[in-house]
Amino acid sequence: MKITGTLRKDLAALKKILPAEDILTFDFESEAGLAFTAVFADPITDKELLGEQVIRPLLRYEGAPTAEEVGKKLTSPEKRTETDLAKLSEEVLAGNPVLLFEGMDEAIIVGTKKVFVRAVAEPSTDVAVKGPREGFIEDVKINTSLVRRRLKTPELKIEFLNVGRRSKTYVAVCYLDGTSVQKTVDDIKKKLQEIDIDIIPDSSYLTHFLSSRPYSLLKQIGTTEKPDIFCAKIAEGRVGILVDGSPIALTAPYLLVEDFQSSEDYFVPPYRATFTRILRLLSLLVAIYLPAFYIAAQLFKLQLFPIKLLLTISGSIRDIPFSPSLEMLLVLFVLEVLNEASIRMPKYVGMALSVVGALVLGETAVSAGFVSTPAIIIIAFSGIGLYAVPNLIEQTSVLRLIMLLVAGSVGTYGIILVTAFLLLYLVTAENFGAPVLAPFSPVVGKDLKDSLIKYNLGSLPTRPQTIGSKNKRRLKHE
Amino acid sequence: MNKLSARQIYFFLAFVAPVGKLVVLPARLAEYAGNDLWIPAAVQFLLQAAIVFCVLLLAKRNMSLFELLENTFGKAVAGIAVLLFGLFLLYAGLLPILEQKLFVQGVFYDTLPSLLAFTPFFLFAAYLCSKPLSSYGRVFDLLAPIAAAGLAGVLLFSAANADYGAVLPVGASGAEGLLRGTAYSFSWFFDSVLLLFFLGKFEYKKGMAWKGALCYLGGGAAVVFFLIVFYGIFEGTAINQLFAFTKTSKYFSGFTVLGRVDYLFIFALSLVMAFYCALPLSGAIESCVQVFGRRKYLPTLLAVGIGVLYFVFTWLFDYRFGDVMSAVSQKAFWVFPVFTVLLPALCLLLKRRRSHDRP
Repeated sequence: MKITGTLRKDLAALKKILPAEDILTFDFESEAGLAFTAVFADPITDKELLGEQVIRPLLRYEGAPTAEEVGKKLTSPEKRTETDLAKLSEEVLAGNPVLLFEGMDEAIIVGTKKVFVRAVAEPSTDVAVKGPREGFIEDVKINTSLVRRRLKTPELKIEFLNVGRRSKTYVAVCYLDGTSVQKTVDDIKKKLQEIDIDIIPDSSYLTHFLSSRPYSLLKQIGTTEKPDIFCAKIAEGRVGILVDGSPIALTAPYLLVEDFQSSEDYFVPPYRATFTRILRLLSLLVAIYLPAFYIAAQLFKLQLFPIKLLLTISGSIRDIPFSPSLEMLLVLFVLEVLNEASIRMPKYVGMALSVVGALVLGETAVSAGFVSTPAIIIIAFSGIGLYAVPNLIEQTSVLRLIMLLVAGSVGTYGIILVTAFLLLYLVTAENFGAPVLAPFSPVVGKDLKDSLIKYNLGSLPTRPQTIGSKNKRRLKHE
Repeated sequence: MNKLSARQIYFFLAFVAPVGKLVVLPARLAEYAGNDLWIPAAVQFLLQAAIVFCVLLLAKRNMSLFELLENTFGKAVAGIAVLLFGLFLLYAGLLPILEQKLFVQGVFYDTLPSLLAFTPFFLFAAYLCSKPLSSYGRVFDLLAPIAAAGLAGVLLFSAANADYGAVLPVGASGAEGLLRGTAYSFSWFFDSVLLLFFLGKFEYKKGMAWKGALCYLGGGAAVVFFLIVFYGIFEGTAINQLFAFTKTSKYFSGFTVLGRVDYLFIFALSLVMAFYCALPLSGAIESCVQVFGRRKYLPTLLAVGIGVLYFVFTWLFDYRFGDVMSAVSQKAFWVFPVFTVLLPALCLLLKRRRSHDRP
């Protein structure tokens, strides 16, 4: 439905589309007697800006009643015209007031949205001792500004899409023209445009639609809260996605090795970075396998323990009323409950929870003979190991449980077979044309230099080949 | 993922193929050839390396096995021949799977578990076999370092405990022992046939034939060294040492403090072996795919069918490994050289150009 040019009629039509009580109108006349009406959503429009940049200049307006002339008088830098009432209503709901006036079949949209945002702060899930501390926040425009500040090049393209039938969430697709693989960009845009869902409350909703195996246990889209990591990934040829209302940015294609790398690795000497990356991998392996092997060894193959350790363990478990696997599952269950509760509980209860968890449950359960000390130590170690790679916690905690169940029923061979399944699943997985397990499988020699091992920056003159960027070289002269 | 690279083929030949020769074969060779156990193995590796060389030369023609045969004999004969190769792989795969079952029951459990403990292997094998053969390329990339680390670890813990003089004098078992050892060990060497099914799934690179043969010989050299170490440790009792690679390292003195850390390497080799044991099954399925085309559910149905078949077979012969082994590796040993040496070598005589390429 288009604007007719009759103010009363257009206003009535717009009010019909937007009957909500918080949609307000403000009527005023210029000195020359031209009637205007500003339509705006009360809670999300900056009324002070509306008064300063729109109403005040127009009160003294004496020019011709055309959108072009009126627009010139407005001091707002963000303005455009629109004739479609449905689109105008969308803008009002987005916080941008619409200016209707008598005799014109166009309305002016003014960008005076009121933005409620928290300050840019260090993300709690991705802390770095060295390197930038900034993190993304919930506003997509501020997030794009954080990206733009780091990539001051016209090649950086940011394309906005609206996703969600009702939420009309802004989704920004960011990529470097000529560096990112165009097919990946097109695929991502196509998948985003095909999404038919009512609301997108967070970027995690999009991962389901972007994944080639949406029901997979394993992660398929990269995530980060840090603009420096986001920009580095874009500069490598990946495509980034920012979602309004979410501080977590997405990147594709995703490679498993990404989650073993941290931004800090690039700000410390390479030998240190290599050491920490290998440490992260070992921690993850310990987190997944240690409880399972402990159970399998106890139940099926005691030889796996050194003799002195075996004596200590047998002393500890002698009076435990549960089977080893049930005991371990019980301790794991307690750990998961404590973990979940400590995240959800108010901070002032957190201390009490720690005391209850560590002292009451831990100490008392051992002294009461419900669980053994080795089981608590192993689960605690496994729990800590899990947090060495925070981006994979969801996946690894499930894998740990699977391993534990298999170890308790089939033993070590079961663990080996599940590992074989997992490896096979990983080697056949691809993400926007990139093998998830690259550069290890398939082996990509050059990319290995920044995988688990980290070479000096001077030895990394090219972008990762796995991503498939045509613009291969990033370091011109060494 | 559609094509394997030359590197992935080399990885298979150098690291994955030798793993299947470390379980029961050493004890059998010790039985047939005594202290000369390494000689039949070396002969087999040399023979297979020559056939690997021939098969890799066939890769120059950029055709699958079926296409190669079809080009010379027509569709019907090619179909029958490829299916025969597939049947042979099903047959050849029996022994490694029974070995694997025994190995699992003997090594991973303190007390003998029921067959059910081994059943998940068939699920894994069915899942693996439902994937196209070309996906093995990435699997080989991943398995190569695992196999290398596993074998190196086992050798590291074993080598110092061996009495290398035990394999002297060379030739003590006589010609009969060496011949028996060579003839009866054919059933463990069918890698050339596995490679036949990879034809058309990788592109020939310059020098690939001799590089591939060298890689195979490299892996063979590691196995031969392992056999020497094995005999150097167990000597007269070697014939009773099934699951050789789990036994040689257990005398390492550091284990009193460290515990059996060698199990980490044994587990690594077991992981590789799980894939290796499923390879003949995948080859058999590939033969059907080449003949009947990649229809939608054909590989999955065949994978499940073969998995069930093997499970039933394993269940039926649960306590008859010795009988099956003597039937396959001794009484009917001649089947293996026909399929693993003669026929692959004869493939070199197949027409070079595609029929429709000719002017």
